[in-house]
Amino acid sequence: MSAALEAVGITKSFGGIRAVSDVTLAVEEGSITAIIGPNGAGKTTLFNVLTSLYRPEAGEAKLFGARVDGLDQSRIAELGLIRTFQTARVFPGMTVLENALVGAHRRLRASLVQQLIRAPRVARTERALVDEALALLDVFGLRARADEPATDLSVGSQKLLELVRALVAHPRVLLLDEPAAGLNDAETEELAASLLAIRDAGITLVVVEHNMSLVMGIADRIAVLDLGAVLAEGVPSAVRADPRVIAAYLGEARS
Amino acid sequence: MLQAVEVLIDGLVVGAIYALIATGFTLVYRVAGVLNLSQGAFVVIGALVFYSLERDASLPVPVALAGAVAVAGVAGALAAVLVLRRGLRRLSLAGLLILTVGLLTALEGITLLVWGSQPYAVPPFTGGGTLAIGEVRVPTQAAWVAVATVAVVAGLWLVLARTTFGKALRACGENPVAASLMGIDVGWMTVVAFTGAAMIGALGGAVVGPLTSLEFDTGRFFTNAGFIAVALGGMGSFLGALTGGLSLGVVEQLASGYISSLFSPTIVFVLLLVGLLFRPNGLLGGRARRVDVPETYQRAIPVIRFRGRRGIAIVAVLVLLVAVAPLLLDGTGLVAAFVIAGVYAIAVLGLDVLMGYAGQVSLGHAAFMAVGGYTTGLLVTRNGVPPIVAVLAGLALTLVVALVVSLVTERLRGLYLALATLAVGLLVDSLLVGAPEVTGGPSGLTGIPAFSIGSFAVTGDVANYYLVWGVAGLVAVALANLARSEFGRALQAIRADQTAARALGIPVARYKRSALLLSAACASLAGSLFAFDFRYLAPELVSTPRSLEMVTMLVLGGQGTLVGPVLGATALTLLPAVVQPLATYKTLFEGVLLIAVLLYVPDGLAGAVSWITRRGGSR
Repeated sequence: MSAALEAVGITKSFGGIRAVSDVTLAVEEGSITAIIGPNGAGKTTLFNVLTSLYRPEAGEAKLFGARVDGLDQSRIAELGLIRTFQTARVFPGMTVLENALVGAHRRLRASLVQQLIRAPRVARTERALVDEALALLDVFGLRARADEPATDLSVGSQKLLELVRALVAHPRVLLLDEPAAGLNDAETEELAASLLAIRDAGITLVVVEHNMSLVMGIADRIAVLDLGAVLAEGVPSAVRADPRVIAAYLGEARS
Repeated sequence: MLQAVEVLIDGLVVGAIYALIATGFTLVYRVAGVLNLSQGAFVVIGALVFYSLERDASLPVPVALAGAVAVAGVAGALAAVLVLRRGLRRLSLAGLLILTVGLLTALEGITLLVWGSQPYAVPPFTGGGTLAIGEVRVPTQAAWVAVATVAVVAGLWLVLARTTFGKALRACGENPVAASLMGIDVGWMTVVAFTGAAMIGALGGAVVGPLTSLEFDTGRFFTNAGFIAVALGGMGSFLGALTGGLSLGVVEQLASGYISSLFSPTIVFVLLLVGLLFRPNGLLGGRARRVDVPETYQRAIPVIRFRGRRGIAIVAVLVLLVAVAPLLLDGTGLVAAFVIAGVYAIAVLGLDVLMGYAGQVSLGHAAFMAVGGYTTGLLVTRNGVPPIVAVLAGLALTLVVALVVSLVTERLRGLYLALATLAVGLLVDSLLVGAPEVTGGPSGLTGIPAFSIGSFAVTGDVANYYLVWGVAGLVAVALANLARSEFGRALQAIRADQTAARALGIPVARYKRSALLLSAACASLAGSLFAFDFRYLAPELVSTPRSLEMVTMLVLGGQGTLVGPVLGATALTLLPAVVQPLATYKTLFEGVLLIAVLLYVPDGLAGAVSWITRRGGSR
């Protein structure tokens, strides 16, 4: 097995509270790994450390074997690790299509001068990008609203737009923070199919999610966080049967 | 040695005033989270009301002083209620800063109307004598400055630290949501803080008036000094304001006394840059700004796009209008005004990239025009350099200046770029006026030849018109290309949400730097065209009031549209030329216009055009 993304002994505290405590986790290339756990378990904090939004006190983050902790956030994205946010962060002041196109940043190489004179190569690339973005928006049912301000979308649609934007980046590893929040059951099912298709296209996925049926349906492996530490890790059926997980979720069974 | 002590005492006196202004700055910043650039205007108002009451109405000094503070307090309260409170509810941090620029301009306009543009010598409180301490002699007024400063600082400390009311004031700054949940009326506290700051400023003005010379627009120098004091001492800290103000005064007086009064602002500015590089939070460390005022826009930003058939139609109409205007206007004298509008349009197009797209504020864009224009003008007249080469040289020097500003400010959070550019602008102002042997001083640089390429020279209004608007057209097309490519999207993303932008691989600092360089380049080009059009260049054409005017043009036209700058520059240049009363009340008009557009027409003229053409049905 080759690991796309690894956390090695990561610890991060906020004012004496250990949000993430000595977490070691490996995400296999080409898989969907779900991270679950009760509220406050440290899932989002772990994401933020892996993408350099926070600096860990201890431990390392590795992307395809190379250390990335301490790098600039934008550098990590350039290396192919793209994330979405727990509450959708679409860019206000831009249309749905423009939002999606921002994702292409890490793929574009045209110089400032080439863009100023709109060199033929720039025009060509832009046209191809627009086509690609529109096709992706179509997949998530957003194509008809491509020219509307992104902030006019519902919260659920904004989360989908954020996913489209991340896909336009052609990520190698994609971290999704609660992608199903704000979606209804039918939309969640469609999302599940899309996530499987994204994995089959060769993109490694790490998903933080509360919707258990979604997680159980798509995850190749599940890691359970509780109080900042890894409680259990394994294939869905094993995690589901783990008594410690049941205890953490349903409360301790007193005998 | 004696001289050194006297210079030091002078420095402390000047520094005490800066500290007073900085204290007012800090009070508003702590309670409302706003950098209040109009603070300096209240200093001038205080001094001039005191002058009028004491000299013209012959009131005793204490009564006149109380009157000056009261008038400033009323003006401050009105400004807070009518402008600031409304702004706090609907503007981003950058928008609020520009709102206070509007207040500064409007207050200067009122001061100009009431007191005119001549300098005033405010009478000292207790005669013009000097106090002898040993062998050192200081003006008695200096003692009053010290008394006022100590009284204000001690009073403020007592109120903020020892009273429930002071606690409530501070709570608004720490966490306004929590404060309002505890039953504190945050909006009212904002008004109280702003009014208090205005009164402190007025007191400062009245006590410092006798030691300096004041005019209607001296306020911006006080604002600048107050800001530098705050930045040196630590943003949001009262002790920092005191320390920063006193050290600024001492350094300034030492620089004037021992090096040159001309280079004193330069030395102060370099000190500020170096200080910010090594201690970004100031000498004493700054405090967090108010948490609910977003650093980046989180409110709805209007999405105005001129694309597709509608875009082509609007651009075609604009191009046609610009092309035939000289034919229609021949003989009215308005062609010359349109040339000026075109020059400003070029600079404001650049400003739009910085402000409208990247969300960064520059309050010193005229300085970039000055660097470009004067470099070009000097090279052409003194060294006989071909115009094109001179323009490029001006461009290169402007880029160096912009790069320095950018490298210092890009790591700092908040609105340091706005204030650093303001400082650069005032610095360039003082150098242009203060070095007549190089720049021609206040009367300007004369004898600049017409623009020419080889033996072809551009002379006359109509020829200049087509030159300027041709360049403006090229700049607009190039920037529009940029806006709809990766660069433009990256800037808009940075304006909206820097964290999300970084998460997509956008190196935020580098893009901000590029945006500043690009917009400075446009301004430099505009400055050079100015020189060739007028055949001379004077400080007032490229000084700080012009910087603020360009911000007004952009806001009026509509930010982030590239159509807005053309509309705004044309409207604001031509209105006073056509409507005569507007020329008389120009400063006041521009200030009020800026405030009104920001608060009530955030999309500007471009938004109106978009709305009208959309209703026309052609999408």
